[in-house]
Amino acid sequence: MILEEFKLKGNVAILSGHGQSWLTHLSAALAQAGANVVVTGPGKEDLENAAGEVRRLGRNVLAIPLHSNSSREIDAVTGQVIDQFGRVDILVNSHNLRFGKPFLEVSEEEWRRVLEANLISVARSCKAIGQQMVKQRSGTIINIVSGAGERGLPNGVAYCSSMGGVIQLTRALAMEWARENVRVNAVGIGWMGNGIQEGAKDPILSYIPARRRGEPEDITSLVVFLASQASSYVTGHVYYVDGGVMARG
Amino acid sequence: MILERFNLDGKVAIVTGGGTNLGKAMSHALARAGADVVVAGRTRGTIEETTSEVRRMGHRSIAITTDVTDSRQVDDLILRTLNEFKKVDILVNNAGVARGIEPSPRDPIPKEPGPIWEWTDDMWRKGIDTNLTSVFYCCRAVSKHMVERKSGKVINISSAAGLRAARSLLTYCSAKAGVIMFTKTLALTWARYNIQVNCIAPGIFRTPEADPGVVQAQASSIPMGRCGEPHEVGPLAVFLSSEASNYITGECFVIDGARFVGYAPADYAPVIPLED
Repeated sequence: MILEEFKLKGNVAILSGHGQSWLTHLSAALAQAGANVVVTGPGKEDLENAAGEVRRLGRNVLAIPLHSNSSREIDAVTGQVIDQFGRVDILVNSHNLRFGKPFLEVSEEEWRRVLEANLISVARSCKAIGQQMVKQRSGTIINIVSGAGERGLPNGVAYCSSMGGVIQLTRALAMEWARENVRVNAVGIGWMGNGIQEGAKDPILSYIPARRRGEPEDITSLVVFLASQASSYVTGHVYYVDGGVMARG
Repeated sequence: MILERFNLDGKVAIVTGGGTNLGKAMSHALARAGADVVVAGRTRGTIEETTSEVRRMGHRSIAITTDVTDSRQVDDLILRTLNEFKKVDILVNNAGVARGIEPSPRDPIPKEPGPIWEWTDDMWRKGIDTNLTSVFYCCRAVSKHMVERKSGKVINISSAAGLRAARSLLTYCSAKAGVIMFTKTLALTWARYNIQVNCIAPGIFRTPEADPGVVQAQASSIPMGRCGEPHEVGPLAVFLSSEASNYITGECFVIDGARFVGYAPADYAPVIPLED
């Protein structure tokens, strides 16, 4: 039997992000749980795939391509969503610009790009869409971050800082909006299965206690949990889904 | 479909301390999600009450009187469960207690009776035994069964007090911190056997017998402005018991309305403009 608390019946979810391969999985998961879904992002093809999946499941969908990720564009998204659905219940931010370079070689421009893509864009999206949630006095925000936001990585100074920034954004905003009944949490993901060619030796695998990399399905059920009433007393926390990496030494 | 992953049909769960408060709420939620529930606890009356509530939901349930600080009774709990149900899929180690001075509206956090130089060895041992050693006993008793089946979910109930200190709550905080590290270590040890071990760290939850003045004083310290209701921890226990969490292990899930997130009192919000 499925607890009613997990169901997202009639909820409106917005997905905002770039650089993630699981946009379609995430849209499908939220739709399967009962939500209507708004997908936004730069990749036209990704948006179409995700929208098609939601439609196939019989939910309403809105696909909004973003070009610059500017606050004007995001504000326009909020307007469009309110016009269409009248409300917004769930925001999932999944911004991941991957970057690795020795610290001494990182230019100011690269710093700016990484912080802009991974941190400031999340703040912008929380502001534009969270504004509506505060007005409604209900909503839940889920920021997807890498475990590198909590731990260090050589060549990862800029990337780790950007992800750590999102974790702190999550905690501070959760404190600020707790009385507004808007919950803010993060999903910390481990080493995902993308980017490794079949047959090639995986340098990370033996580091992961579960001895496998994460798959989109591993992430989506935690997102649904945090998006739903099942987590009504959870705010300000990072929940990791990483096969045990954060527990190990 | 994704919601199916939260289903516990056909699973067998043991909940220690299942007669009251969070243990009772988790027993209810596990049963609502489809599990049969063995309810363990010291007090016959309360665990039997939970058992009959689970049965009314259409699931099998038995009450087994157990003092979790006695390893023979714990071994017996697992044996009797295996005799009756043939397997254990889910173990929720919830039994535990903070003993001492009751909270008051002026000081809403419970205390262990001080001063520390008056504490007996026995007081210390009791706190550690009830809250930490009991988790070891239960895990040890179920370990061979789960490892041989290469399947299982263990959920240890720690506390936000295992992450953040509370004045004069020495054994409780120490033991609950121990539960978190026990969880992580066991998770790593059992990852290769497909057994996930996680813990839940609840913040301040309302109990039925709580003094309304205390509840109000506690609520004002919590950013969400209220104490947790016991039923709100149920779905988290279901999530961690289900295949939806198969890639999650060694984690500590704080559920506290942001009570232990902050850096200052919940209502402190300084406005500091940037200087030119």
